[in-house]
Amino acid sequence: MRRGPAAARAQRNADLRFYALTLLGLVLFPIAIHPIGGYPGLATQILLVGIASIGFNILLGYAGLLSYGQAMFYGVGSYVALLCVSRFFPQHPNFWVAVVLAVAFVTVMALLIGMLVVRLYGIYFALLTLAFAQMFFFIVFKWRDMTQGDDGLQGITAPPLALGFATIDLTQAFPAVNLGPFGDLSDVHYWYVFAALVTFAVLVFTRILVRSQFGEVLAAIRENEERSTFVGFDPMRYKLAAFVIAGALCGLSGALRGLYETSTAPDALTVETSGNFVIFTIVGGVKTLLGPLIGTGFIMYLQNVISAKTDAWRLIEGVLFVAIVVFLPGGILGSFRRKAPRALLANAVRVTPPPGEPSASDAQSAPHELPR
Amino acid sequence: MLDGFIRGLVYVAIALGLTIVFGMLRLVNFAHGAFYAIGAYVGLVVAQQYGIVWGLVAAPIAVALFAVVFDRVLLRLFYDREPTAQILVTFGVAVVVEETLRLIFGGTTRTFAVPDALSGSLNLGFTQYPAYRLLFAVGIVAIVLLVWFFIERTDFGLIVRAGIRDRTMVQLLGGNVRLASTVIFALGAGIAGLVGAAASPIYSVDPNTGFSFLVPSFVVVVIGGLGSFWGAVVGGLIVGELQSLTTLVFPAASDVVIYIAMALVLIVRPSGLFGESEVIRG
Repeated sequence: MRRGPAAARAQRNADLRFYALTLLGLVLFPIAIHPIGGYPGLATQILLVGIASIGFNILLGYAGLLSYGQAMFYGVGSYVALLCVSRFFPQHPNFWVAVVLAVAFVTVMALLIGMLVVRLYGIYFALLTLAFAQMFFFIVFKWRDMTQGDDGLQGITAPPLALGFATIDLTQAFPAVNLGPFGDLSDVHYWYVFAALVTFAVLVFTRILVRSQFGEVLAAIRENEERSTFVGFDPMRYKLAAFVIAGALCGLSGALRGLYETSTAPDALTVETSGNFVIFTIVGGVKTLLGPLIGTGFIMYLQNVISAKTDAWRLIEGVLFVAIVVFLPGGILGSFRRKAPRALLANAVRVTPPPGEPSASDAQSAPHELPR
Repeated sequence: MLDGFIRGLVYVAIALGLTIVFGMLRLVNFAHGAFYAIGAYVGLVVAQQYGIVWGLVAAPIAVALFAVVFDRVLLRLFYDREPTAQILVTFGVAVVVEETLRLIFGGTTRTFAVPDALSGSLNLGFTQYPAYRLLFAVGIVAIVLLVWFFIERTDFGLIVRAGIRDRTMVQLLGGNVRLASTVIFALGAGIAGLVGAAASPIYSVDPNTGFSFLVPSFVVVVIGGLGSFWGAVVGGLIVGELQSLTTLVFPAASDVVIYIAMALVLIVRPSGLFGESEVIRG
């Protein structure tokens, strides 16, 4: 797309502002969470899980594909990473090898599964991804020799982070500095810095991705797949790419979370976990870059605060989720931005059928429609 | 073999509700397992007070009422939204129901005893089999036939079937599709509730029960063909047998095998064994 110099400059300023604000947010996050009842470790967990949600949103928000099986990538990623440390290379455990191998394994897995599932639409896509996730859940659950079944992998200390010039123990804390209501700086571990850097990189990558031609074609396919093929794009390739990227980021998230927790269990692959990524993304704001991360933080923070007080946490989460789906389909972030484009659309687009016509009239083809 | 048949029949009954609701409302109901769980708990509570017969009466009625309220209050808003939004809202409701049950009844597993009159076993010539299970099997077969009769042989069923084909046309001809939809939704839910109550002496009940039966039931309807009546029946029996036969041969794979079957069916014949409509577009 051709843009004038003024537009290009405005774009560059917007980019800079976005990166600066995101970095600032990431720096303040672990101490800002303290006075509201959180703790820096929770901030680390939120970022690590948030990476999976950001990836999932590429699939759900930008490609319009609702997967109910992201937990398989997340869970398998955590298992492969921990097995790399404890079983495959016990003599020379290496942080990078564990992460890279986990992501590579999950990427291949996503590619193979993706080739089978991206041909399906809507509910069929959701159900088939769900079926694959169940398959992997039971494989992990039953393959006791490798995975220790429902005990999971426990107490696997992550190797230090080798950077060439230095080797950093991520569990090490910052020096003690009293920050008043914001706790103490020594509560923050190097893990947080690492998680924040990775999250930032993932955000930058995703932002570039969805604004590239690839992202635009993906959106075009989501809005009208048939038309996009007429223009000469192969929707399957683009959807497969989105599926693989989402899967790989889920695997990265799982691998890092596993190394951070020093453990993993088959829980990581359940329908509940897959559903959680859906909940995080929808609550935060689908089709927004930061929404999934904010949704992950919001829900995990609430869970942390509320589940300390009452057993009803998941009930509250469910009610909250239903309320968001009903009243705020754009999620927390989407609700801020919704008004302007909607008003524009109402004036500009009149090709859609008038609201009076029941859209379920064509009952045979209704379920095959792409999400609008 | 017979155990697989019984399990298959449970799947048939749950999948039947899923599939007629999908046929009529074009709705994939992630809360359908929750109906089963509510039925199980209502049956449990009522049966402890008034005996199992009343438990079996109360469960489907309570669940059908719940379904009507759910439909009128929440689902109504989602008829014209995309299928994924419907999945999201029904999934949310399923979570809410599951957690409400957990709060009320606790997370522990419960069973209720088979009534004394039915606790014996019958000699079938080739094997001994618990009487309650046999009665259960007969009951489900009866339900399947009744639903079939209701949909295929009554005037009301005619509206339902026509509504599946062309909603607008039926509305123009004066058929009350709205009412038919609600009845079908309540019927599917009621069956799930009844089976939930009736099956809980066989399979234990816990708040997770809903999801643990829902997911295999999805497998059933996908294998049979979403929206297909006989697809749900045949699919349910296949899945039940597949599970129990694999348990005999290779127990470790018994849970995985049905998902492999489902993936194979979706890949080779995406519209399912009995599905008519094309699933793949473009």
